[in-house]
Amino acid sequence: MSQEASVSAVDSPLPAFEVRQLSFRYDSLRSHSSGDRSAWVIDGMEFTVHQGEIIGVIGPNGSGKSSLLKLLTKLVEPQEGTIRLFGSELGALTRESISRQVAYMPQDLSFDFPFSVLDMVLMGRYPHRRGGLWNLVGWERQEDLAVAEEAMAQTDVRHLANRMIATLSAGERQRVLLARALAQAPRVFMLDEPTAHLDLNHQLDVCRILQQVHAQLQMTVLLVSHDINLASQYCDRILVMKQGGLVCIGPPQDVIHPQVLSEVYGCQVLVDAHPDTGLPRVSLPSQNHHQVSVVTTTY
Amino acid sequence: MIVHPTPSQTTLSDPPTMAAPVPSRTYKDVAAVQALRARRWYVVMGVMLLLTCGAMVGCLQFGAHRLTMAEIWSALTFSSAGMDDVASVIIWDIRFPRILMGLFVGASLAITGAALQALVRNPLADPYVLGISSGAALGATIGLALGLGAIVGGFGLPLFAFIGGGLSIVLVYGIAASQGQLPMHQLLLAGVIVNAVCSALMMFATSILNPASLYRVVLWLMGTLSAPSIPMLIGIGVCLLIAIALLLRESQALNLLAVGEDAARSLGVDSVRVQRTVFLVSAVLTGAVVSVSGMIGFVGMVIPHLVRILCGADHRLLLPVSALGGGILLMVADTVARTVVAPAEIPVGVITALIGGPFFIYLLMTRKYRFFA
Repeated sequence: MSQEASVSAVDSPLPAFEVRQLSFRYDSLRSHSSGDRSAWVIDGMEFTVHQGEIIGVIGPNGSGKSSLLKLLTKLVEPQEGTIRLFGSELGALTRESISRQVAYMPQDLSFDFPFSVLDMVLMGRYPHRRGGLWNLVGWERQEDLAVAEEAMAQTDVRHLANRMIATLSAGERQRVLLARALAQAPRVFMLDEPTAHLDLNHQLDVCRILQQVHAQLQMTVLLVSHDINLASQYCDRILVMKQGGLVCIGPPQDVIHPQVLSEVYGCQVLVDAHPDTGLPRVSLPSQNHHQVSVVTTTY
Repeated sequence: MIVHPTPSQTTLSDPPTMAAPVPSRTYKDVAAVQALRARRWYVVMGVMLLLTCGAMVGCLQFGAHRLTMAEIWSALTFSSAGMDDVASVIIWDIRFPRILMGLFVGASLAITGAALQALVRNPLADPYVLGISSGAALGATIGLALGLGAIVGGFGLPLFAFIGGGLSIVLVYGIAASQGQLPMHQLLLAGVIVNAVCSALMMFATSILNPASLYRVVLWLMGTLSAPSIPMLIGIGVCLLIAIALLLRESQALNLLAVGEDAARSLGVDSVRVQRTVFLVSAVLTGAVVSVSGMIGFVGMVIPHLVRILCGADHRLLLPVSALGGGILLMVADTVARTVVAPAEIPVGVITALIGGPFFIYLLMTRKYRFFA
């Protein structure tokens, strides 16, 4: 067993994502005949995501963060460039095979329909279902329930299994969605604003669960966040976007820098060290803060 | 600048301790849960089937002439002295076809409503939201206006209605589909537009109809289940069975789509195919049902909500239970419609609204139903 482990450690694993010359725009009725690149939502991005990394994608509103996640799950397809998922061309993979490798947690889910938590988590087993005439309605097998139950235990929602999803708090819902994504048994987790509208305690829950999953299952995690501090604390590398382009990608210590951030966001920010971890921490200056260039930083 | 991560880099505090991988008792729990889920499906379906049969037998009793259970039993078992006795004739020639028609039409409307509410993620959707019914109504009105209502051995009206419905399916689909996609908001809009245009044209057509034809159009629009012919029954029955099979096959995909389209696609749902299938199946079934029974309101919108309140939103259960529930409601409503003022009849749509409405309000007020939360 140890031999196998050492062998796999020596092999350099294929990167989770290899993105080359990626450009994308939403088709609209206006013509794009001119050389105007401003219509492009993603413009010539290149980066690599290694297996087992936690990557935080940050950038101002409309910089293309959500579109990037959609491209990486093939929810939309690029006009130019290539994406490789564990070495295979994403464009050539089927919806189903992608869904067995990548779990995607979007922001805009509807909780109107009275599904129970267990219903919701079991939906994550859809890519692994076995159909056929004898199972027209697609009931889950015992194994699916075992996976769902373990996922619910990991995100601490097992006691909510029979509750209606609409009756849960925002934090509980987010944990249910994490359980659903876990039940999908993916290799990559993609989350769009997983901590938006959550209070501190629930933000911490979500981040802890992501860390657990990452540590235990060697999961690759990509998360879009507006919370730069959170990204700084939990991500191995931060990818900064502006107007559809890649500004820089690297560890928080290098990327979360006042010059980078003020250039990207167009406002002055203060960066200092987190009292606990020493990782960069971002604050907005007070209104009467005029010393533009004076920034306390350890870097 | 690019650094390969090490786990220690990411930890903020002590990493939380993980639960041991699946304790042994979990297996038993899982088996129990699975048995419960499967059993629940069979129990609910069994109860609904029993209720359906009970409602059928109950409805056989009532009408202009009240029959006893003994008469019904002997007619159903063919044990009466002669097959031409009054009870047998009433049951086999008049009531049974009509009850069956009520079952099929109610089931079609309810299952279509349930599927469409999930598809367009709108609790107010019903089978008529797609504009197919207005197209069918326009077709029927034109047929009557041209004096062709009685051709083809009494099939003229349904035939014209079905052609009108079919044309509006093509129209709605043509307006909504773009670049190989079928965006749902566009589908709803197309339905509303086709509805409006067809209604306007129909009002114009009725304004130039003679009074006799006008009366037939108005009666047809109110919806009636009277005197179905055997071929019609078989036609609707076959359409319904095929539709149930096709919709059940997509029921888990509908669950996922009801929560969110992008999320559903990321879980491997071919959303365009599912949307196209559900739209076409619903549209054709609605067209067929409206052609033979006119516009019977309420069943298609409220039955799915009732079933969701009682059984939850899982479409694998919701769709078949809605179908049976809609069938029962329409059978009972039609029996009331042809009994209370016998030998005259009340339009069945009036009864469905009067029975279903208060019941729905009662459930809304007594149970926690969070659809409009």
